[in-house]
Order: sequence, then C-alpha cells, then structure tokens
Amino acid sequence: MTLLDQPRGTAETSQQGRFLVELKDVHKRFPGTHALKGVDLAMRHGEIHAIIGENGAGKSTLIKILTGAHKRSSGSILWQGREVALATPQEALDLGINAVHQEVVLCEHLTVAANMFLGMEQRRLGLLNERAMARRSQEILDDLGFRLSAAARLSALTIGQQQLVATARAAIRGTKLLILDEPTAYLTRAETDQLFALVRRLHSQGVTIAYISHRMEEIFELADRVSVLRDGELVASRVVAETTPEQLIRDMVARSLGEIHHKEDIPFGETLLSVEGLSGPGFSDVSLSVRRGEIVGLYGLIGAGRSEFVECVFGRRRRTAGQVTIGGRALKGVNEAEAIAAGIVLLPESRRDQGLCLNLDVGFNLTLPIFRRLSPRGLIDRRREAEAIGTQMRALDISAAGRQAPTWTLSGGNQQKIVLGKWLNHGADLFIVDEPTVGVDVGTKLQIYRLFAELLRKGAGIIMISSYLPEVYDLSDTLHVFRQGRQVRSYGARGVDHETILADAMGTAKKISNGGKAA
Amino acid sequence: MKDAAPETQDAGLSKAEQRQSRFAFVRSLTLLGLVLLVWLVLSVMTESFMTSANLSNLARQASLWAIIAVGQTFVIITGGIDLSVGAIVGLSSTVVAVLLKAGLPIWLAVFITMGIGPVVGAFHAFGILRMGLPPFIMTLATMTGLRGIGLLLTDGQTIAGLPNAFTAFSRQSFLGIPSLAWMVVLVAVPAYVLLSHSRWGRHLFAVGSNSEAARLSGISISRTIYLAYILSASCAAFVGILTASRISIGVATTGEAWELQSIAAAVIGGASLFGAVGSVPGPLLGSLLLTTINNGANLLNVNPFWQRIITGALIIVIVWLDQLRRAKR
Repeated sequence: MTLLDQPRGTAETSQQGRFLVELKDVHKRFPGTHALKGVDLAMRHGEIHAIIGENGAGKSTLIKILTGAHKRSSGSILWQGREVALATPQEALDLGINAVHQEVVLCEHLTVAANMFLGMEQRRLGLLNERAMARRSQEILDDLGFRLSAAARLSALTIGQQQLVATARAAIRGTKLLILDEPTAYLTRAETDQLFALVRRLHSQGVTIAYISHRMEEIFELADRVSVLRDGELVASRVVAETTPEQLIRDMVARSLGEIHHKEDIPFGETLLSVEGLSGPGFSDVSLSVRRGEIVGLYGLIGAGRSEFVECVFGRRRRTAGQVTIGGRALKGVNEAEAIAAGIVLLPESRRDQGLCLNLDVGFNLTLPIFRRLSPRGLIDRRREAEAIGTQMRALDISAAGRQAPTWTLSGGNQQKIVLGKWLNHGADLFIVDEPTVGVDVGTKLQIYRLFAELLRKGAGIIMISSYLPEVYDLSDTLHVFRQGRQVRSYGARGVDHETILADAMGTAKKISNGGKAA
Repeated sequence: MKDAAPETQDAGLSKAEQRQSRFAFVRSLTLLGLVLLVWLVLSVMTESFMTSANLSNLARQASLWAIIAVGQTFVIITGGIDLSVGAIVGLSSTVVAVLLKAGLPIWLAVFITMGIGPVVGAFHAFGILRMGLPPFIMTLATMTGLRGIGLLLTDGQTIAGLPNAFTAFSRQSFLGIPSLAWMVVLVAVPAYVLLSHSRWGRHLFAVGSNSEAARLSGISISRTIYLAYILSASCAAFVGILTASRISIGVATTGEAWELQSIAAAVIGGASLFGAVGSVPGPLLGSLLLTTINNGANLLNVNPFWQRIITGALIIVIVWLDQLRRAKR
C-alpha cells in the first residue's frame, strides 16, 4: 500500500454534497485596481470544479487568496462550514489546501524524492532517512505509472515531468483541496494524459479539485462544474454536463457597452515592418506587416508563441528561418542592439523585472532612453532634463508622485505609464508592447490607450500582445490569432465577433461542439 | 511653451520630495557631523591629535583610502564588487619601484604603471561579461593572482632606494595641504562630475538598478561594466604609485586588506551593495572616518586588536542606522 492509497477521512465522503469551501462576497483590492469584486463561489466535497476566465479576470488572485498568499480585503471564507482566516500559506497548508502552479515552484537542485518530501522529511535517529524517502517516492511514482526515477535531479526533468512530480507531491500531503493552475499549459499530450489519470485518481479518493484552465476540451473531459470569472466577478457557475463551449465563451467575453474603447482614427502611413515566414524556438512561419499609425494585435492563450515571436523580431531569440525588414532594411536578428538601433522598442510583459529601474526616481526612469539627447557633450543639461521630465509628467498625468519619488512607490498603473511614456519624446518607430494593461485599473487603461494614440500620431507603429480579448479587439487595426506557435488566422479591424476569435485561439470551435463529458 | 517652463520646474518637485532631497543632504551632513564629533573628542582627550604633524599624517592616509574607495563606489553602483584593489595597489607600487630603479624618468615610470589600471580593469570586465564569472569571484581570483605577480617581480624582496624627487612628493604640501590630499581633489572632482552630471554616470546607476531596463533603453551594458572596473582599477593603480612615494619603497604586500577598507568606506558613505545607490562624497567621508578612528585609537593607546573590533562594530552600526532611515521613508 502506498501513501497515496491511505484511506481518507470517511467523514468527508459521507458529507458529499455539502460544501468543502465557500467564498462569500470576497473582495480583493490592490493599489490602483479592484481585482475581485464580491465573488461568491462554493465548491462541493469531492468535485472537480473548473474555473475559467480571460487573463485579468481574477483567476490568479482567487488562487492566491485560497492558498493564503494574499489576504482578502473583505468577505468571508468558510472551510467545511467553519469560518477561517486563511491569512498565511501555512494556514492553507494546514487546512489541506495545496496548489500546483503553472510554473513549477520546487527546488531544481534537489532530487525528485527530496522534493516530494520537502518540509515533511522522514528521519531516523534525527538524521534524514534518505533511503526510506527514495523508496517511498519510487513506489508512488511507479504506482502512478510515471516512469520517473526518484533519484533524478528535478532539473533533469522536462517541465511536464516536474508538473507531475508537483502534483504527486501535493497528493501525499493529505490534500483536501488541490488547486491546479493551468497545469497543462506546457505539457505534451502524453504527459497531460498521465496528469489526468492522477487527477481522476485523487478525485476517486474524495479530494476536491479546483481546475484552472483555458482549454475548453479539458474542462469538458474532466470537470463536474465550471465557474466563469470576468473582470473580477463570478458571472456564471454551471454544471458541465448541462452546458456547451459556446455558452462558456459567451460568459467569458460578454461585457457592458461602456467599456468599449475605439481606437482613434489615425491615417496609415508607409509600411514600417514586414516579417516573412519567421520561425524560431516556440513558433513557426509567421508573416505580418505593420504600417505607420497602425496597431497590430496578437491574440492567443498563454504559451501560444506570441512573446517568443516578438522576442525573435527584437533579436533576443534565435531565428531559424524567415526575414524581418524595417524601413526597407533587413534585420539580421543577431542581437537586441541592432533592433534598438533600427528604431524598435520592446516593452516587456514583466515591467517590474524588465522595464523599470524601480529603486531609482521617476525622473531618472522617464529620461532613461534620452540620456544622450540630454547630454550633447557628455554632461547632463539640467535645465533640459527638468523640462523633459516636467513635460512628460504632465502628459502622463503622474505629477502628484513627484519626479524624485522612488519608482517603486508608484502604483502599477503609474509605473506602466512610465514604461510607455518615457518613449514619447524618443522618436522610435516600432513599439512592441506585451500585455500593456495587466493589473491596471480602467482609468489608467484609458490613459495608456491615449498614449498609444499619441505614439501613432507621431508616425509610430505598434504591435500589441494582449490576452485580454476586448482590448486587442477594440484597438487593433489588424488582428493575428496565435495557437500553439502558429499564426492560425488574421482579421481586419473588428471583422468578426469575439466568440469566433476566442474559438480560434482555443482551437476548439468545431471539434467539441458535440460537447459532453468524456466517459 | 516658454511661459510653461517655470511651472514645469514647480511640478517637478513636490513638497514631499523637497523634504526628501533635503533629507539626503542632511544624511551626508550626519556623516560629516560624526567625523567632526570624533575629531572633537580626540582633540579633547589627546594632546597630540590636533597637531599639524598628526593631521597631515591623517590626511595622507585618508587620501590613499579615499581614492580607492571612490573607484570602488563606481563598481558598487553597478551592483558589482572589486576585491582586487588592494592587490593592485601592491602590484603598482612594486612596478613603479622596479621601473624607477631601472632608471626610467619618473613621468615615464608613472605613465607605464598607470597602464595597470585599464589592463586589469578590462580583464575583470571581460571575465564578468564574456566568461560569466560573478564579480566577486573574478576579482577574488585577480586579488590572489596579482599579489603573486608582484612577489614574482620582486622575488619577494623590498625595493628601496627610489629617487628623491619621487619620494619627496608625498611629503610636500601645497597651500598648507598635503599633496596627497590634492590628489584626492584631482580624482574626486572629475569623478563627481562623471557620476552625477554625465550620461555615463546615469548608465552606471541604470545598469546597477535594472540591467534589463537599461538594455531595453539602448544603454550598452558591457561598455558600462568596462567603464566601472577600469575606473576602479585605475584609481587603485594610482594609489599604488602614491603609496610607493609615501613609504619610499616598493613592497608587493602593500595594501593588504585595503579592498575591505575601500568597501567599508563606500558602504559607510551610503553606497548599497545591491547597486544603484552611491555618491562621490560618501566614500570620501567614509574613509576619513575610518582613518580617524584608526588614528585616534593609536593616539589613545587602544590595543590594536580592539581597533579591529571597533571598526567592525562601527560598520554594522552605521549601515544599520542607514537601513533604518531608508525603511522609515
């Protein structure tokens, strides 16, 4: 008998039908954004409960609240009918809540066995009992049919295998609620099957599973119930057997008219960038062009190859085939310096990591790309600097913060405005923006869209990656949909409806229209 | 747009930040105040502290440390560290001595010796950028290696009998101030302009704060790293020459543990080993404080072993106080 097969509390199984966890009117506010707006969500004992929603809908915030990584701002959480604080990760673990994240959070340098027993190491005479742990781990892995060595270092495994180890690890910890956050985003089909087998097995033992996914077919294959989040609200909770992918897509994308942002009419100029048959690691055969004054949107799910594609255009990733021409000049694609010199600007997704000098002041960050212009003979012209910073701050409406405030003290939205705004006076030609509005509130979003218009009027072109469909839909003059490293479809401005685009991105339009849960 | 200019400047500085920039000023004053306080205490407690002989001696020693600490600060601002500066001091003091003994004119010997700076600094940057070595390891390795070169060069011997004109320099004064202290001015003024008023200074801060953001803004990381390590090594090579003049001999083991003094001076002066924080006045005051404490402890006949303990404790307390102030902000 392995650890996995140990009988679980029978009381729980007898409680089938009652709720394991209930969220009541849960709110989460971050500086500058209201991430969850009164979510009511209940998960029954032993069900597989899928949670879907677009990026920014509040899924990750919900997970973080359930795992104690964030504390809710208001509202209550009931665990087996009893109110709990759920304020720390340790408390969540003690209750039996475990999460497996899309990016594996384990120790790469340790062995599989050491990772499985991390924090609950078995000891003999006060020393680690490595042999027993290795044997136990191996039994569990064999039992699950994973064909992995417990003695292997985690770093030697594929991401998919690591994901399996993480799930098995959660399974041996007396988990009552297992949260799987897009576990299959980087898995092969075979690995996905192994993972599903494990999930079903845990399910049969009475573990409740919260399954976050973008992939419609997985939800219909696995889940009992599905809840849809949109803009921080729970908009629908449905029994999977009684719904269809079309219905769920409608739930995900429906929205009020007030939120539509139309791009200003800016006349197109000459072609700025043209990409022909570009291939590289993570994507293949992508062709597109960008004109001056045009926003080209790239839509797709996580792992669809959009970021890889733009990084290749920027010279950050190896190119295996294809051509990139900007302003009639071919780019060799060997390094970023070449792209920057050619007038391409990349605004990365993780602005904190890649876009800003957070511990330096606002003025410093605003002038980062124009030091050369501010110092014609090497020395910084203070008057010119103050003027440039002042103009920028008024244009970006961040005067309140002050130019000498350290950038980390600003809200996410204001930070993002600096990442974009610092280029306003620079005169770059092509802007590649990756998820420009993640984690910013509606007001800041509008200001960011106005910044785009400003850049376009100055003759720039924009490539925008966004996983927020309403945004790419409304702003793009041309929209390319990516799926699994391929450019699956291209549309003109607002040529089709949201449902078609989302279905293209998910690749499930026709295949699962007969729906239903796999037996 | 002309009429908007004054408003621009107002909008640029809010009240809170005026307070903040005043605060930074007060911070450097506190360090200066601390130095003055120690001076006051020492001049009351000892008779010999406030003598011109002791003060020039103090100034000479502080000058040597101040110059390498300024160089060290450039590196620290980029988020790196230069452990080799003490070894460079030793090497360049022997090289200049060997060259002088070989009969080279002073200007030529100094010129050649100064070449050590760019060569060693460039080697550090190369190892860090091209070979992927962490700055700590790269400069730890040269710290050991360069001492070996100095010892090989002199066969472990002391090189004495340097020309009078060379050794006299460190004893001279100009306008009542020791010539070595003038050398600090010679280094610190351009260093200040470079760090606080030039494009390249900004690059040092940008790379130290977030090299990715710097790169995406079109700043060359490698040029900036080369600049920092070459400046640091050059300051050290310069100090090696000055040291040879001061002690009138070339010894390969000169400057032992000075890298630690320079790091301590920079950190006491407000630099952060996480990068992107630092100034030129900081290390100057830092080394003045460290030297004063050593000097005072000698005058007070404090056990030299205790001196080390006091210095260590002082570093912890000063940097801790600084952390407290930063956290409060």
